[in-house]
Amino acid sequence: MKYPVTRRWRSWLAWLAAAAFYIACWRVAQVDLGRLATGLPKLGHWIASSWPPDLHELPLFGERIAETVAMAAIGTSVAMLLALPMAVLASRNITPLPRLYYPARWLLNALRGIDSFVFALLFVAAVGLGPFAGVIGIGLHTWGSAAKLLADHIENMPTGPLDAIRSTGAGRTTAIVYAVLPDILPVLLSAALYWWEFNVRASTVLGVVGAGGIGLELKNSMDLLDFPRLFTIIALILVVVTVLDQASGWLRRRLV
Amino acid sequence: MKADLFTALGVTHRYGARVALDDVGFTLARGQMLALLGPSGAGKTTLFRCLAGLQRPDAGQIALQGRDVAMLHGRERRRIGLVFQQFNLVARLSALDNVLAGRLGHAPAWRGWTRQFDAADVTLAHHCLERVGLAGHADQRADTLSGGQQQRVAIARALAQQPDLIIADEPVASLDPGSGAGILDLLKSICHADGLAVICSLHQPDYASRYADRILGLRAGRVVVDVAAGAFGRTHLNTLYDGPLHATESLP
Repeated sequence: MKYPVTRRWRSWLAWLAAAAFYIACWRVAQVDLGRLATGLPKLGHWIASSWPPDLHELPLFGERIAETVAMAAIGTSVAMLLALPMAVLASRNITPLPRLYYPARWLLNALRGIDSFVFALLFVAAVGLGPFAGVIGIGLHTWGSAAKLLADHIENMPTGPLDAIRSTGAGRTTAIVYAVLPDILPVLLSAALYWWEFNVRASTVLGVVGAGGIGLELKNSMDLLDFPRLFTIIALILVVVTVLDQASGWLRRRLV
Repeated sequence: MKADLFTALGVTHRYGARVALDDVGFTLARGQMLALLGPSGAGKTTLFRCLAGLQRPDAGQIALQGRDVAMLHGRERRRIGLVFQQFNLVARLSALDNVLAGRLGHAPAWRGWTRQFDAADVTLAHHCLERVGLAGHADQRADTLSGGQQQRVAIARALAQQPDLIIADEPVASLDPGSGAGILDLLKSICHADGLAVICSLHQPDYASRYADRILGLRAGRVVVDVAAGAFGRTHLNTLYDGPLHATESLP
């Protein structure tokens, strides 16, 4: 009979700990429903005043959105190409240089752990304002994420085919290209599409730190409290992201 | 008397204190098919790895025409074709591309990278597929073939290497009896027609005596049977699986 009692105590303690955790978080995050109540009508007023949308700057917005999409495309594509050799180095089962396995994994974790936004901040300082800093930011973060995904995939692959192809007298790199690449290529292409789309969404904010794209116009509109302009931009972003999402979803279904 | 193509002498290997192979030796001539029998844990897999040059034994010599197999590096490895229990094909490549992998030890590396082989290699690969009875399946993806067909592609890949020796590690253990017999028949006919040597480890003694020329029996890492397949009989079977060794062990 003693056992169920201690179990009940334990579950009470768990509930108590969880409650304490959320109360502490609520305080730290400074959640204030009163402020939301006074703020929401303000937001509603802005949305109401944003009609009709401001379309006479559409050519500029188009240019900026093209910049955003291009930054994401270049950053993602370069990252994917660099991810291939890095994934081989970071796969315990096939790496030609086992001594570099852990350094490669650490590097990937660091690249993955730092957001493209943070990289962009650094590179705006290093290479100057403009979309190029954004490309580097996106590229570095995506490189880490993609290489880690591919490496995890490779580590779960049976190495029998690779051993068999090595035994035909093929060189090490040739054998990897012949035996491993056909298996990871669909994963790579599907991931590339996913990250491109993800990076388009992510890079809308890169403009805020001066790394090019539509984010800059977004921030300008907010600073000027120009709501018709602001909401036009938001609507445009939604349209582009939705179109890309559908297109990449369709392409991915064809690939896999 | 034909000159020996392949010799193993005093091959010994330990894993820690456990002896996996103990003074294993045999010789093999061209046109000969050797079946390797023995209960599980007898050392067949370790011997396969050593013979294939995938692992160097602690002691002893294994030589292909006088060359130590553990010293066969890079392109020279094409001289030994390997066939595995799990086929080990590249799943997403076509049967033909899998067979063409057998040419990687001959062709320049860029051809392997781009999978653009020269016409002679492609013709040879088609011919190999034809020999294993899969002429109509060249463009089919490997993972859509049946187990028996996949093992045939794997044999065609080994053939495309134009090897001196084919070593097969339990090639029929993952197949149903019908496809298994077909695979062994194929290995035997290749061995006799092309004049290469074949070493094939097996679980089934009846397959061994039906298809092989010679039977080598391993027990606890030692060669306990080494006879012509025609002479293999009841006594050898007892020696191998539950014969006097086991009886003496269980005496009080």
